Amino acid sequence: MNTSLFAQISALGSSLALLAGIALLWRRSLDAYIKAFKWQSMVLSAMFVVVGYAGSDRQLYAMAAFFFVLKVVVIPHYLRRLEERVGAERESQPYINIATSLIISGLLVLLAYAITRPLVAVSQLPTRGSLPLAMGLIFVGLFVVVTRRKALTQVVGFLVLENGIALLAMLGTYGIPLIIELGVFLDVLMGFLAMQVFVYHIHGTFESMDVEQLNRLKH
Amino acid sequence: MLTLFVVMISAYVLGALAALLSGRSAVGRALVAAGAAFGSIAGLALGLFVIASGIPLTFTSTQLLPITGGALRLDGLGAFFLVVVGLVGCATAIYAFGYSAQYAGRYSLRLVGVMFNLLLLALSLQVMADNALTFLILWEAMSLTAYCLVLTEHDRSGTARAGVWYLAMTHAGFVALIAMFLILSGADLTSSFGSMRAGAALLSPASRNAAFLLAIFGFGTKSGIIPLHVWLPMAHPVAPSHVSAILSGVVIKMGIYGLLRVLLDLMGGGPAWWGGIVLGAGAVSALLGVLYALMEHDLKRLLAYHSVENIGIILIGVGAGLIFHSYGLMPLAALGFISGLYHTVNHATFKGLLFLGAGSVLHATGTRNMEEMGGLIKRMPWTSLFFLIGSAAISALPPLNGFASEWLVFQTLLGGSNIPTPEVAVVMPLAVGMLALTSGLAAACFVKAFGITFLAIPRSPEAEHARESPRSMVAGMAILALACVALGLAPFAVVPRIGRVLAGLGGLPDTHSAFTLNLSLVTPNNFASMSPTLVALGLLVLLGLVPVVMLVFRVNRRLRASDSWGCGRVGQTPRMEYTATSFAEPLRRVFAELYRPTKELSIDFHPDSKYFVQSIEYRSEITPWFEKALYRPLLGFISLLAKLTRRLQSGSVHIYLFYIFFALLILLLIARWS
Amino acid sequence: MKGYLLEIGQTLIALVLAPGLVGLVRWCKARLQGRRGAPPWLVYYDLRKLFSKEVVISKNASWIFRFTPYLVFSTTVAVTLLIPMVAAPLPFDRIGDLLLVVYLLLLGTFFLALAGLDPGTAFGGMGASREMTIAAIAEPTIALSIFGLAVGAGSTNLGRIVAETLAHPSAAISPGHLLGFAALFTVMLAETGRLPVDNPSTHLELTMIHEAMVLEYSGRYLALIEWASAVRLLIFFSLLANMFAPWGVATKLTPVALGIAAVALVTKLAALGVVVALLETRIAKLRLFRVPELLAVSFVLALLAVTSSFLLR
Repeated sequence: MNTSLFAQISALGSSLALLAGIALLWRRSLDAYIKAFKWQSMVLSAMFVVVGYAGSDRQLYAMAAFFFVLKVVVIPHYLRRLEERVGAERESQPYINIATSLIISGLLVLLAYAITRPLVAVSQLPTRGSLPLAMGLIFVGLFVVVTRRKALTQVVGFLVLENGIALLAMLGTYGIPLIIELGVFLDVLMGFLAMQVFVYHIHGTFESMDVEQLNRLKH
Repeated sequence: MLTLFVVMISAYVLGALAALLSGRSAVGRALVAAGAAFGSIAGLALGLFVIASGIPLTFTSTQLLPITGGALRLDGLGAFFLVVVGLVGCATAIYAFGYSAQYAGRYSLRLVGVMFNLLLLALSLQVMADNALTFLILWEAMSLTAYCLVLTEHDRSGTARAGVWYLAMTHAGFVALIAMFLILSGADLTSSFGSMRAGAALLSPASRNAAFLLAIFGFGTKSGIIPLHVWLPMAHPVAPSHVSAILSGVVIKMGIYGLLRVLLDLMGGGPAWWGGIVLGAGAVSALLGVLYALMEHDLKRLLAYHSVENIGIILIGVGAGLIFHSYGLMPLAALGFISGLYHTVNHATFKGLLFLGAGSVLHATGTRNMEEMGGLIKRMPWTSLFFLIGSAAISALPPLNGFASEWLVFQTLLGGSNIPTPEVAVVMPLAVGMLALTSGLAAACFVKAFGITFLAIPRSPEAEHARESPRSMVAGMAILALACVALGLAPFAVVPRIGRVLAGLGGLPDTHSAFTLNLSLVTPNNFASMSPTLVALGLLVLLGLVPVVMLVFRVNRRLRASDSWGCGRVGQTPRMEYTATSFAEPLRRVFAELYRPTKELSIDFHPDSKYFVQSIEYRSEITPWFEKALYRPLLGFISLLAKLTRRLQSGSVHIYLFYIFFALLILLLIARWS
Repeated sequence: MKGYLLEIGQTLIALVLAPGLVGLVRWCKARLQGRRGAPPWLVYYDLRKLFSKEVVISKNASWIFRFTPYLVFSTTVAVTLLIPMVAAPLPFDRIGDLLLVVYLLLLGTFFLALAGLDPGTAFGGMGASREMTIAAIAEPTIALSIFGLAVGAGSTNLGRIVAETLAHPSAAISPGHLLGFAALFTVMLAETGRLPVDNPSTHLELTMIHEAMVLEYSGRYLALIEWASAVRLLIFFSLLANMFAPWGVATKLTPVALGIAAVALVTKLAALGVVVALLETRIAKLRLFRVPELLAVSFVLALLAVTSSFLLR
């Protein structure tokens, strides 16, 4: 594949992934959160394939398949079940209002550009232009985790953050060894399951998914 | 040229003397106005002459004999600001003749007349100061005369408080300026600007940076950049309206003059972060200024907040210019400074016009509260027309002057892609976003200001019985309205002149050639071109053509006036109208996180049934929280200091005499061993 | 000379096509919603009917109210003279750039809002207040989109932008370009009063914005305003089409090239019309106070567009 086209496609894919991350900030219902996450993961699996093809690395195809199964099928499914069990709560009152958080996310992406500039400057990779976008996605994921009130939306934020890390790793190194990557994925799965248990307990104790309620544990 | 200078000074002085001698008679008022008007016109002519000829006006020391240590020199930059002073001064002087009639017997016309002339004199000389001492003395003269004028209506609530804030802030800035000049001149305040220019290049970076920060603080307090603006929305509205026009149109521009003189001329520019700070302060002032203006229903306070906004826009241009200057991108730097200066003169005209218009409304209705106005367009046709021109100009609507200068500011920022370091370059799109939001909000705000004040049905008996202002006031407004139109239609004539004024300052090239094209305004590198003149012409042709075409096609021309649609209710009352508060309500909700309004709602129910409401009281207030956060600790600290110093004040004469004696001893001892 | 004739011809075409475009969107929407719908050319009959009716104005109205329809119409027509629709660059290209176009349209909106306040009814005030709110917060996105386009093309003059994109077709699929298109499309919905920001087919007081503002208008005044708003829709469509996908725009003034350009223009306009109709069938109107969020999304899109085209050159 010619490098400029590859660079163009990777930039496009990263932009789409970032947009899906930003979509989280704009939507309120958990359903939309899950959908955005699903789409983002789909874009990422496709990018694994593209990067694998461009770098002629067979392992990445396997990664893409694994990624797809885990993040497009399994986790969204469990998220939906979780939602059914505890009832869908809308993210109606985030700590920072939606318009402001959107603008902040735009500024975070600018910050990502500023931070990754030395990296981009020395890098020779055709994907270097997309590194700031991946970094931006990580920031946006973190921002979601920090500013949302509901446990479930925070979980999705965490998953998006993880996607951002995967994207950065993929673009920066063309895929770290399969075994490490698998370990990371399993970690994520375990982390997710653990969070699921927490969510059930928070719900059972407080009859709500509002993380604010945890403040009451102090007394 | 010297003749013009002498005419200018003597006219102002005679105007002040006339005020002192005549008091409250109509002839006296006419003489005062004539003095100020002739002085301004002479100043205007002098400024234009210096700009056109390109020869600075210099004085030999013998010509200035009575003032020892004083040094005057009028160069292009000074001449440009002298033109601004003259233009607004002349219009307000004529306006003042009619406007100040209402003060006779209530307030001291003597004080107003003397101080008004002296303020204009101080402003005119300010831009000629050629050493630090002269500059500082005139600066103080300007501040003090303005202070006296602010206090004119001393018995109204809020005036005294505004005066104290103004005095305190302006002197805090003054102290910073003294310190700055001491650094720049090597502690010799009488050394001329020329030698300071040479000396400034040799200063260490640390002292240059210190001087920069002091300049930003000192000139910033005068210009009212956020967060140093607190005094401005208090002091400008309480002054007599023609003085408000001078304060908002001209006096705050002296801060811009000072910044350009010191940063660009004397220090020859600096590192990119200087420009970044100026640009940032400008962008924040512009946006917050207009946002707070939107929430005001006091017409003059609203205009005062818009001054903060426009100073911000000017500083965006100047800051971008400084950034480009630091990278050696001279044509773009020149464009930045030109856009700033162009907006300076434009803002002087339309803000002067708007304040005069607001004064005319105040004169007719006796209130500054927009919620009590309405329907004035039928009662005050001229005032409303001029106010509309001012509103359209300040909202940057083509083809008026506000658009031409904001267009240039935009073009400057678009040049940001030429900056080699992306961390700095990224500032430019952000500034574009903020500037665009500012101008959109300004348009919304002036739809409110004009629509609520002048349109629809009167909301109070005062507005119902309003009459058009006397002819002198209308004439004053007409001058500035014409200036707005002319400056907007002829940027091709104005911009090259401003370029020439700036040429040579801080190594800026003469960009004259880059802007000459018959009717268009072209930016350097041929980046974009635009012609407000032809657009205005096209709009006029179309406006004439549409009715003609409609006539040709025999469109139904009948017209009938009837009641407004009231959802079936007949008999419309003013209570059904949208108010200023309700107009701004959507924006208040959009920016609720910034405003943090407090709400109080109390409903009185009928004693028998809660379904019948007797009265509803709704109160909502917005207090700028960042002002509180910044100034409350400062004020606390100051009053603590004051409490401590009070211990010295015992009231006993002997103690005071002892202080004097003690101080004398200390001074003598210091003098002995130093 | 040929250029000037073409300018005038282009404007006449825009004036003639605009009501049809509005009719097309309405018709498509009706078909998509399973209704038969009025034929697209009904809008022309509506305009003719309005022009032949008498005007009834409010007793409280001033000259502003009577002047506004002419001004709104004139500014809109002036804009059609400035934007490249079938050929670029045209002689008037030097007179105005993209910024001027935006501010000329704002001039019309400004006066329309004043006219909304003029009769002193609550409806007009409400419409004016909301219209100005949305116009104000849409402004940053527009400016940033202009910034993105201008940096790419090295000019804010429309003819130059079109020529530049035509010369470098690969730039049209760059992320910056696509994001910029998405941003400007969103803003277009807000600026032309389409769903999900405003509902052009309702007269229900709680939801309407633009319609509330012009409620007091009738007869020839209303006809001028309706026509102008149809042309405004056409202007935004052709800006979107020709700034981001300028293929087909004639660079030489030969009859063949112009013919192709005209066909391309009509196709692009119709395609955008169908897209808008599809969108309006799919989505519901947003609450007024969620509109800023939508515009914030478009702002972020524009910011990303600028960043990627600005920092990655």
